[in-house]
Amino acid sequence: MESKTEGRRDGVWAQPYTLASGQTQSHQLGHVNLWVTLLDREWQIRSETVELDIDPVSWTETVGHTLPSKEMSLQRFIRAEGADTVTFIPAVGSLPTVVRPYQPLTIPAGEQCVIYVGTLVWMNVCVGDARTMLTEIPLAVPSLTWVGRNTMEGELCYSSASVARLVLEAVPKRPWRAVTPVTIINRREEPLLLERFSLPTPMLSLHLNERGQLWTPGVTVECETDMNSASLHVDQTVFAAAGKCQQVGPAREKVARGRFVRAFDRMFG
Amino acid sequence: MSVLTGVAWGQWVSSIFLLVLGLVLGSLAARSVSRFMAERSTRHHTVMLRRFVFYVIVLLFAIAALREAGFSLDVVLGAAGILTVAIGFASQTSASNMISGLFLLVEKPFEIGDFIEVDATLGEVVGIDMLSVKLRTPDNLYVRIPNETLIKTRVVNRSRFPIRRLDLTVGIAYAEDVERVEALLLGLAEKNPVCLEEPKPFVLVTAFGPSSVDLQFSFWVPKDKVLDGRSSIMVAIKKALDREGIEIPFPHTSIYAGSHSEPFRVQLLGPETLSNKEPLDVDKDR
Repeated sequence: MESKTEGRRDGVWAQPYTLASGQTQSHQLGHVNLWVTLLDREWQIRSETVELDIDPVSWTETVGHTLPSKEMSLQRFIRAEGADTVTFIPAVGSLPTVVRPYQPLTIPAGEQCVIYVGTLVWMNVCVGDARTMLTEIPLAVPSLTWVGRNTMEGELCYSSASVARLVLEAVPKRPWRAVTPVTIINRREEPLLLERFSLPTPMLSLHLNERGQLWTPGVTVECETDMNSASLHVDQTVFAAAGKCQQVGPAREKVARGRFVRAFDRMFG
Repeated sequence: MSVLTGVAWGQWVSSIFLLVLGLVLGSLAARSVSRFMAERSTRHHTVMLRRFVFYVIVLLFAIAALREAGFSLDVVLGAAGILTVAIGFASQTSASNMISGLFLLVEKPFEIGDFIEVDATLGEVVGIDMLSVKLRTPDNLYVRIPNETLIKTRVVNRSRFPIRRLDLTVGIAYAEDVERVEALLLGLAEKNPVCLEEPKPFVLVTAFGPSSVDLQFSFWVPKDKVLDGRSSIMVAIKKALDREGIEIPFPHTSIYAGSHSEPFRVQLLGPETLSNKEPLDVDKDR
């Protein structure tokens, strides 16, 4: 997975990097540039969000002794004795993510489909053997939206426009996004028009496969009568097509019954 | 000397001890309840339950202390009944505030931590007490508002719902293309992460003003990002309109110097006269 070309390597999730005092490790990942500096008594973290016209598909990492410009916002953390490793742990969003296909998709009566959805990942910068978290950075600027019956009842969610791909091979594997296979089963007698749906991202754990891609367990949504009564189920294991995976990030929330009901109450807005 | 020996000191010491014990136990129990509730409930409910536990325990120990001191509870209650009429007349305002406080608790128009507006006062609710509600204003002033006032007057709770709509008025010159400006504003809302995608932002033409066409630009933001949303989008609007060369006109004022004064001289200068134009009035006296 790691390829060394002129000091640049591919970044890797959940792998400890060892730094020497004075060294700065810089990363280009998603829409974020990140610099982690190790000093004798402290860690320094600088980051900036960049506006890009196209989504980057690679994660490059370099180590040097050069610091970025002083204008960059700086976070300083006390460094424990002997802690010289930094590990990047991915994390799912803290709010559900509303996925909105660019073109609405119709699922005819009695049919089902699997949609591959990419959701934004947060990066936890952890240090030391105990992997103490210093900070959390979204790897792109997340948009917010509201899902609910009206402006009084509902829930704030992250928003993500999606191509809603139906073929796994066509899904771009970006290291800053996690792929979730969403199975939608329409048991109704009418077609189901899928304009948007809310994915309960805080309930999903993150898994890393051998190709360095992030996956979450699959989600199955079953519509029996109307949209509000859709039932939602989070798989225990990762989709078989993801290959051999190891869990790298836990779910933020446990699947509690009350929360679960809310999730599928608002599944389709 | 006989007066001193006649007093049952033992009873009085016991009753004082009971009273102090009640205060200490009430305080400890209230703190425990507060700690237990802190992560399980809202600040408002935590404070309410803490006070309730404290007052109940203190009341029980106070009754016990009175009995220990030799007072019959029936006599005390009877005396309290007679006193209530007298005290009631003397403390109408306090009683009114206390009853208003009860209504506020039942009706619950706001909770501790909410941001409310009462008359012209805006602030975060830091306490709902027996007689008054305490606010902390954005400029860090402590404001006490009697409960009765809150019952009588209009209270706006600004943080009741999770999202809020901001309406900005944007004035553009009459010469500008309104639809182009509308598209530009909607594009800004789309790019700004604080603006919600749903409910959708919108632009309305609200007035043909004296010096501008007035547009209302409305968008939704999470309740905790109102100031950030307003400021960042206003900066973005100014920058975008400047970049696109769209004029934001300001009111033009003409000065009339009065009928007895000499009128201002107005002269149109062509390009050929610009080089040898007459000196300005203000330069004449130099």
